[in-house]
Amino acid sequence: MSLLKGNSLAQLLEHPAIWRGRSAARIDTLSTGFRALDEGLPGGGWPRIGLTEILAPRHGVGELRLLLPLLARLAAVSPPRWVVWIAPPFEPYAPALAAHGVCVERQLVVRTETPLWAMEQALDSGACELALAWVRRAQPRSLRRLQLAAGRGRTPGFLFRALTTACEASPAELRVLYEPDEAGATLRLLKSRGGVRTPIGIRWEDGDGAA
Amino acid sequence: MAPRDRAASDRRAFLTRGRASPASAVAPGMAPTPAMAMAMAPELQLVQSELGLATEVAEAWIALHLPALVLESLTHGSVPAAAAPPLAIFEPGGSMPRLVAVDAAARARGVVPGLTLAAALALAPALDARPRQPRRERALLARLAEACFAFTPRVSLEPPDGLLLEVRGSLGLFGGAAALCEAVQARCGALGLGARHALAPTPLAALALARAGRAVAITGSERLVGALAALPLALLRWPPSTLARLESMGVRTCGEALRLPRAGFARRFGRGMLEDLDRLVGRRPDLRRPFVARAAFRGRCEPSFELEHHEAILRHLEPLLASLESFLRSRQAAVCLLRLRLGHRPDPHDASVRATPLELRLAAPEFSAARFGALLGEHLARLVLPAPVIRIGLRSGELQPLAAQSGALWRPGEHGGGGARESPALIERLRARLGAGAVYALCLVPEHRPERAWQVAEPSGLHEPGAPAGPRGRRPLWLLKTPQHLGQGIRSLRLLEGPERIETGWWDGQDVARDYYVARDCAGAKLWIFRERLPPNEWFLHGVFG
Repeated sequence: MSLLKGNSLAQLLEHPAIWRGRSAARIDTLSTGFRALDEGLPGGGWPRIGLTEILAPRHGVGELRLLLPLLARLAAVSPPRWVVWIAPPFEPYAPALAAHGVCVERQLVVRTETPLWAMEQALDSGACELALAWVRRAQPRSLRRLQLAAGRGRTPGFLFRALTTACEASPAELRVLYEPDEAGATLRLLKSRGGVRTPIGIRWEDGDGAA
Repeated sequence: MAPRDRAASDRRAFLTRGRASPASAVAPGMAPTPAMAMAMAPELQLVQSELGLATEVAEAWIALHLPALVLESLTHGSVPAAAAPPLAIFEPGGSMPRLVAVDAAARARGVVPGLTLAAALALAPALDARPRQPRRERALLARLAEACFAFTPRVSLEPPDGLLLEVRGSLGLFGGAAALCEAVQARCGALGLGARHALAPTPLAALALARAGRAVAITGSERLVGALAALPLALLRWPPSTLARLESMGVRTCGEALRLPRAGFARRFGRGMLEDLDRLVGRRPDLRRPFVARAAFRGRCEPSFELEHHEAILRHLEPLLASLESFLRSRQAAVCLLRLRLGHRPDPHDASVRATPLELRLAAPEFSAARFGALLGEHLARLVLPAPVIRIGLRSGELQPLAAQSGALWRPGEHGGGGARESPALIERLRARLGAGAVYALCLVPEHRPERAWQVAEPSGLHEPGAPAGPRGRRPLWLLKTPQHLGQGIRSLRLLEGPERIETGWWDGQDVARDYYVARDCAGAKLWIFRERLPPNEWFLHGVFG
């Protein structure tokens, strides 16, 4: 019986389905492309499967830049799959995306008044590499549906929400509070499976601060 | 290989080796069987290898006889109502229309085919009497013929109520004659048709056996005459006068007719009858006009009651979609476009309400009835019907060859699993609910005007990344659809970089002359703004550096 061996408890606790408070559970992740952020996040990156919420004070303060390194890396993934943008606040500008190394041809934009439904379809289908959605209001119950759909479709989903929703309950895997500053941003992990508690500062590589 | 088969293939092989003579229409490899070659050029001398009659051809015909086709053609496609009145179908025309078919409920009331309509109505006053519709019978027969392309490419119609399939080449594939007959019967049953079948080496024999209800499978011609001997001659559907004269001679069965002296038979009844007998037993080739399938699907259904809810419409659509799928499968084809037409009950107050058209466009060619059903369901759920639906018509767009795909080993998201099959499905589902314009892909355009440097693209297929774009000026991640007039708002902004002058497009009348700046607003967001170079030199917001 392997369970009776000396290190069996340690082995058991390493199982991905088990996590305890601050312990670093082994979860499948995607590197964010920012070293400081990778070190702060549990597992060293964005959750590979499940919902991540990014709470920003308003649209267009750099919150999209957080995902640019990941989007750029997905350009090289084969076979190609869609990156779905659901109800973005403005038009994603293809030349700028291309300049950041993002594969423009793989981006799919969905304009809808019901972003949660579209997000569920995108996550559930398994046809997307990544799904991004800009959501104004969402009940914890509908977020739970998204979280389950992401699990079924094995897809990472990112929700951009307003800062005011920080106090609401959410079943998301990871909740990040985003605050822009002079040449980068400060991130706080509102909810994570064992991430750091201290704020994480990141700097944009080109010194191209959002604020 | 059985000796018979080998002999047959020997004969075919000889034909393929034959010389083409300029006078004859037969060239090597042109005619699939010696029988066909003979028919194309009767003067052709078929050289036989070692055995009997040249016209003895190794063919196997399945005949399908549809005794209830007249009835089925009128009830097909409609869901039977619970308490439907007894149904009888009469042949219109003439002063005394006679019934040609009745259903079980009518038969229980003593109404049988052959009665005059007046007599039938006297027997069963509640009788639902409808005129026969030969066009619908033909259409239904053609649909069965199309379904039978699943078994053989050689299908021919035998109107008004029969179908012939030449299945020699399919016997091995379907596991023998009995299994093939069973599969054909199952296909008839799936279409809601009651059929009788028989398999024989000649089409006429198969038809006669099927009409007699003998579900036999005779693959060798040596057993054929014995099986035919007891069949009544009436099954051959000869003219009634001929049959009456034969009966007066005491000749009632095929066996008796075959025993008559040939010369005398020909003199009394004409060469045509003798040739028919020869075709029956395979002494003469029997050529059948092959059935040619339609180039596009067209189906309709008339429910027996008015449909008001989309679920009910969808339920009635299912059989249509199933036949569309078998139509497409038999052609190895798929479609990108379906047209649905929901016919409404004519409204006395509003003549404009006649039909609601619905178009289903797909991102990738599709053939599966389940997929069509799911997508049409989404469309129907959004549709507001002006009146109840009494008729449903379905037409397919142009057929496209179906490229067979093998299923992925991995689920999407696992190891090497791509979303090849799922991504068109996702796009169609989103478009079905949100409209075609709401789901789009992006593409780059080599153009200096910022709003024209990108374009909405059709999300048709995923591409490998293209060539990286060349270096450009600083561009924002977000672009406003139309530049937003800043007015006095410019005072609260602080310019960081610029200007970048963009002055182009004079050739198409959409010229721009702008100085672009990067600015920061008081809340800290970085903006892309420009100033018109032409008076009144207004400031506009054009993008946001996300």
